[in-house]
Amino acid sequence: MMRNSTPKDIGSINFGLMEPEEYREMSATKIITADTYDDDGFPIDMGLMDPRLGVIDPGLECKTCGKHSGSCNGHFGHIELAAPVIHVGFTKLIRRLLRGTCRECSKLLLTEDEREEFRGDIDRSRKLGRDLNDVTKAAIRQARKKDRCPFCGEVQYDIEHEKPTTYYEVQQVLTSEYSQRIAGAMQGDEEEGIERTTPDELAAKTDIDLTRINEILSGSFRPRESQRKAIEKALNIDLTDEDTNKLMPSDIRDWFENIPDEDIEVLGIDAERSRPEWMILTVLPVPPVTARPSITLDNGQRSEDDLTHKLVDIIRINQRFMENREAGAPQLIIEDLWELLQYHVTTFMDNEISGTPPARHRSGRPLKTLSQRLKGKEGRFRGSLSGKRVNFSARTVISPDPTLSLNEVGVPDRVATEMTQTMNVTERNVTEARRFVSNGPEGHPGANYVRRPDGRRLKVTEKNCEELAEKVDPGWEVNRHLIDGDIVIFNRQPSLHRMSIMAHEVVVMPYKTFRLNTVVCPPYNADFDGDEMNMHALQNEEARAEARVLMRVQEQILSPRFGGNIIGAIQDHISGTYLLTHENPRFNETQALDLLRATRIDELPDPSGIDDEGEPFWTGQDVFSELLPDDLNLEFVGTLGDTVVIEDGQLVEGTIAEDEVGAFDGEIVDTITKVYGNTRARIFINEVSTLAMRTIMHFGFSIGIDDETVPDEAEARIQETIDDAYDQVQELIEAYERNELESLPGRTIDETVEMKIMQTLGRVRENAGDIAEEHFDDDNPAVVMAESGARGGLLNLTQMAGCVGQQAVRGERINRGYEDRTLSHYKPNDLSAEAHGFVENSYTSGLSPREFFFHAMGGREGLVDTAVRTSKSGYLQRRLINALSELEAQYDGTVRDTSDTIVQFEFGEDGTSPVMVSSGDENDIDVDHIADRVLDSEFESAEEREEFLGTKRRPTNLSEHADSRRVSDAPEVTSDD
Amino acid sequence: MVDVSQHELVPEHTVLDEEVLEGVLSEYDIDRTDLPKIKRTDPALPDEAEIGDVIKIVRNSRTTDQAVVYRLVVD
Repeated sequence: MMRNSTPKDIGSINFGLMEPEEYREMSATKIITADTYDDDGFPIDMGLMDPRLGVIDPGLECKTCGKHSGSCNGHFGHIELAAPVIHVGFTKLIRRLLRGTCRECSKLLLTEDEREEFRGDIDRSRKLGRDLNDVTKAAIRQARKKDRCPFCGEVQYDIEHEKPTTYYEVQQVLTSEYSQRIAGAMQGDEEEGIERTTPDELAAKTDIDLTRINEILSGSFRPRESQRKAIEKALNIDLTDEDTNKLMPSDIRDWFENIPDEDIEVLGIDAERSRPEWMILTVLPVPPVTARPSITLDNGQRSEDDLTHKLVDIIRINQRFMENREAGAPQLIIEDLWELLQYHVTTFMDNEISGTPPARHRSGRPLKTLSQRLKGKEGRFRGSLSGKRVNFSARTVISPDPTLSLNEVGVPDRVATEMTQTMNVTERNVTEARRFVSNGPEGHPGANYVRRPDGRRLKVTEKNCEELAEKVDPGWEVNRHLIDGDIVIFNRQPSLHRMSIMAHEVVVMPYKTFRLNTVVCPPYNADFDGDEMNMHALQNEEARAEARVLMRVQEQILSPRFGGNIIGAIQDHISGTYLLTHENPRFNETQALDLLRATRIDELPDPSGIDDEGEPFWTGQDVFSELLPDDLNLEFVGTLGDTVVIEDGQLVEGTIAEDEVGAFDGEIVDTITKVYGNTRARIFINEVSTLAMRTIMHFGFSIGIDDETVPDEAEARIQETIDDAYDQVQELIEAYERNELESLPGRTIDETVEMKIMQTLGRVRENAGDIAEEHFDDDNPAVVMAESGARGGLLNLTQMAGCVGQQAVRGERINRGYEDRTLSHYKPNDLSAEAHGFVENSYTSGLSPREFFFHAMGGREGLVDTAVRTSKSGYLQRRLINALSELEAQYDGTVRDTSDTIVQFEFGEDGTSPVMVSSGDENDIDVDHIADRVLDSEFESAEEREEFLGTKRRPTNLSEHADSRRVSDAPEVTSDD
Repeated sequence: MVDVSQHELVPEHTVLDEEVLEGVLSEYDIDRTDLPKIKRTDPALPDEAEIGDVIKIVRNSRTTDQAVVYRLVVD
């Protein structure tokens, strides 16, 4: 079915209101009974499950279109409402139109000049792509100001809107207690200095006859409006009451029917498509049964969809309404029923309206009606259309495999035999295809399905595979298993940047986890503590080609986030290269070959020297240099602050550690990627990581409690500095208590003493760290890791060996807990270090219970912080993505949105891709000079050159991967593609 | 009051001539309403700029000496 339909271009989409007649026309049947099925379980005609509304049970035929379930989309029915009701979705617009049009002649309350102005405003807004609502709002505001209709002269009243669907007309009418109010005001008020008014004076002030005044005062004459106003003014009182007059939906409908087409056009409404009276429903469309399928429970009972329940309510009330009206029920009852009908129709469309109790299921669960189906994360848009569950995907736990290339992913065999790639059988691959089919669905490079040229899909089984294999011919399609070298997409959530989804090549492996090289952990932000990742098999050649060219891991080595490499050595790789190059150890031939055994290097260079026993040796730097391109020249300040010098691909000086080969801007990796291309960089990273692993295995690398223990003498010195600090803190406290402490500028005395104590205690940890550090050898594993940048820093070392230091909550010493003290162990207002969370022990010596408690307080804050940060930044990211998702870089270099409005005249204002640019100041590229040189060598005469330059085309970003990114010395590279 | 348009960090804003504008619009194949907008009340605008005018802004750029941007003046 999908195969035969041609895709169509959508020219345009128009939104508008639907005319009641349109509802009736598209309706397959009128619905009159609230019942669904009869006693025999057959749907009732003209009931909510009428067979003309579509089929859900397989095997049945649709009475309207004749199709079967699955291919019949269903058909709408309709309910004739006994009385018009308001559509909740349009309450605001209805209110606006009521306020902006005349209650008598329904014309828009704007003069021709005003209309012209707003028409112009709307045109302008449309062109500028602004919100039309702002203009129409302004137009209504202007129209509301009119007290009388400029056309028929009718007085206009205020419209009040009681949410959700009731409208009132508010009239100012004379209060019934007017005589009392006037008399009261005439009494005057001595306290407020208001004098008494006699009827004579009032008559004079208001210019009303004295007899009339007396009649008014006695209550036998109601003052006319002009008289009322005069009295109000004279006595400074209010003689009016509000009188509200409810507008029934039928009144509103009549009102709207008379609004002329050209008047609503001023408000930006297209009268052709949306007449305002259509916002008041007289016919209710009934969604097809396919949109509200009923489910048969295990016990054979049918359970209906929420929408069906709601429709049942509507039909019941509708019928009752009609019966009551025909029986001539009193107006009060009719109005009640009308309101009830309005409530059901309202909740049918939106069951989460504020001020309206949601319609509930018998169990008390609120019904999920139309609007709830669309809204929110699990709604139709975000849950079913933008985010779908897809076929050809797999998910499982990840684990490391350093023997894989960074381009590869280890796929469990049971995943590989389940997920398939479509093979179009031709003369050239027919034997191959037959082999896959004959292996069957169980054997590994097998096949699961075949499709014959007539379009029939056959399942390959253990039984029919041999037989089927012989039938396979060119023109068939074979869904074969994933095999080594297939390209798949691999992803780890949250997908925060483009490197969260990259293409890998399949390596089919035993066991149940996806395997990946540890160097791709940084882009995915993955570790192996139980992380799971998703894999997607690509289903057409176009997708596979794009993935291979654009998405393969090696194409993503450089991150557009900071322009450096995001893939590189991590953790033990860095410790390994550090051990290999730091003290430049010597290796004999066997050792050197062993280090390089997983690389392309199968012959050692000339030995670095001959040792005392006459044996040749190779130094670590020389071994490392084997991995570098032969003509690489570099000189920069490295991780340890020393200079790293590489001359002609030979590491001459310096230690290789984080800033050299690490992920996140490792200088050597970065340079190789930019100068020699992605393929060379991939080879380099793969080889550095395997060399590093071999090295770390050669030397052995482990860490234990003893590695962080300092001698007793050092421990004593640390204790001494801590004691010193305690004394200093005590002195500060004493000075504070004697009120001798001078406050720092802008601080109170209390803040000053806190700050000074914090400073003092901060110094203790530093000093303790310094002392501890003196006692560690350079080959101490913790020191190696901290120095090389592999993991941890000096702070971790200090806390393990020296002193954990001050614990803080909200950047201050710990001050919470009891009144005036942190724990009941301390005296109130004790300012000492101990009482406010200073931990003098180290992790090796162990924390005291009180220290442990304070430490937990500080640790908790960190955990809460990260939890809050991730949720906040996640939402921020979502909003940013939604705001920018439609921007696109065009071939002319501009960035535009979908309405072709320009956002940037040149991508990023300079038209450069962050990954193609080297931002260092030192390697300034003289483009003009290079261009001239190339032109000079290319063209013999000035005319030829002129001719060439004259036809220069605008640069496009059609291909970011120009040939310059290829590896120049191809034979050197053995690709693992 | 400080005249921000004289500040060194505020790039040069000039009103574009109608003929030059024609060229710009045809270069990008757009209507003037497709340009980015700038408010009439923006203090960086030259005094003579009016609603409907197109402003040329020339910024100094670290990567491309000068970055040129056009904006339509709106209310």
